[in-house]
Amino acid sequence: MALHSTAYRWGAVARLFHWLTALGVLALIAVGLWMTDLPNGMRKINIYALHKSVGITILGLTVLRLLWRLTDDRPLSPPGQPAWQQRAAQAAHVLLYGLLIAMPLSGWLYNSASGFPLRWFKLANLPHLVEADPALKELAHGAHEFGAWLLIALVVLHAAAALKHHFVDRDDTLNAMLGRRAKDSK
Amino acid sequence: MNTPRQRRRAAGWPVALAAFATFAAPAAPVAYTVDPAQSSLTFVGTQQGEKFTGTIKSFRAAVRYGPTELAASTLDVSMDLKSIDTRSGERDAALATAIWFDYAHTPTATFKSVGPLRATRDGAVADADLVIKGKTKRIAFPFRFTANGATANLDARVTLDRLDFGLGAGEWADDSVIGHKVDVVVHLVLKPAAN
Repeated sequence: MALHSTAYRWGAVARLFHWLTALGVLALIAVGLWMTDLPNGMRKINIYALHKSVGITILGLTVLRLLWRLTDDRPLSPPGQPAWQQRAAQAAHVLLYGLLIAMPLSGWLYNSASGFPLRWFKLANLPHLVEADPALKELAHGAHEFGAWLLIALVVLHAAAALKHHFVDRDDTLNAMLGRRAKDSK
Repeated sequence: MNTPRQRRRAAGWPVALAAFATFAAPAAPVAYTVDPAQSSLTFVGTQQGEKFTGTIKSFRAAVRYGPTELAASTLDVSMDLKSIDTRSGERDAALATAIWFDYAHTPTATFKSVGPLRATRDGAVADADLVIKGKTKRIAFPFRFTANGATANLDARVTLDRLDFGLGAGEWADDSVIGHKVDVVVHLVLKPAAN
């Protein structure tokens, strides 16, 4: 099993980063949409704490992932892909990486501006980014919420594009991330 | 029948007794009030592993204290819990509810010393009844007393268990989310009460 990516396939490390992030982000979106309407109580506190812990984990994973990406190869675009699609794919991926950083940070900022503690899985407390600040709290909340909808839209687009490559174009874009042998790799 | 000399001697007794009393009687405790601008009453709780400080902004305290008149010395404090500020609007709003201080029913906490104080190296220990949320607990309250001319400082730090007062019971009793131990930090700047 190759740790590094090649021109035809994502390596094991890149795939692990991708699928762990996918799992985490889907869970965060689902829990994030649901948890805000919970009645105040210990359950709400614990579920928020879990959401924050997973979000901070994604932040750490994404930083490591970007560092890894600097040293890693990456698969080529599918042959014959129009230039506009390549540019759109690149823009979507830049935006996705940006949100993987911006979402945890805006959540962290929202938490700090609210004056709440931030404890990672009941193990370690993280510092406050800012002092409690009601105006900033509203701003950070707005950013986190707007970012969430943007992220949902991008995740849907990302998954739809992967399925389109796989089932319509019948190319190896999705296979490359599933670790399958690319059909026409040479 | 008394001789003149005996009468003179008898007349001298009350004077001598009065002089002795003045010399031997310990100073009566001094009645103090609190300078609210310089005094503070705060508590340190733990929320999700992180300490937070709450300030009880409004309280009244009457202190009668004399280092050699501990039997007649008293501490009497009344706290307006609605004045608590923990630097978080959401936390303050939560403290108002029945889960925590229940301002609607028990907006005041009181602290009253019971019986004589016991001397320590730099102050005294008071046994006191602390009433929060209608629940009374007898606590030992050791404090340091520092006289500065006519004014004085009274400093103390005691650790309470919030569950003793029914603060955050049931599901809220989880120590890992909101700590059971709460440190109360008292800094009173006292000035003689105007009588």
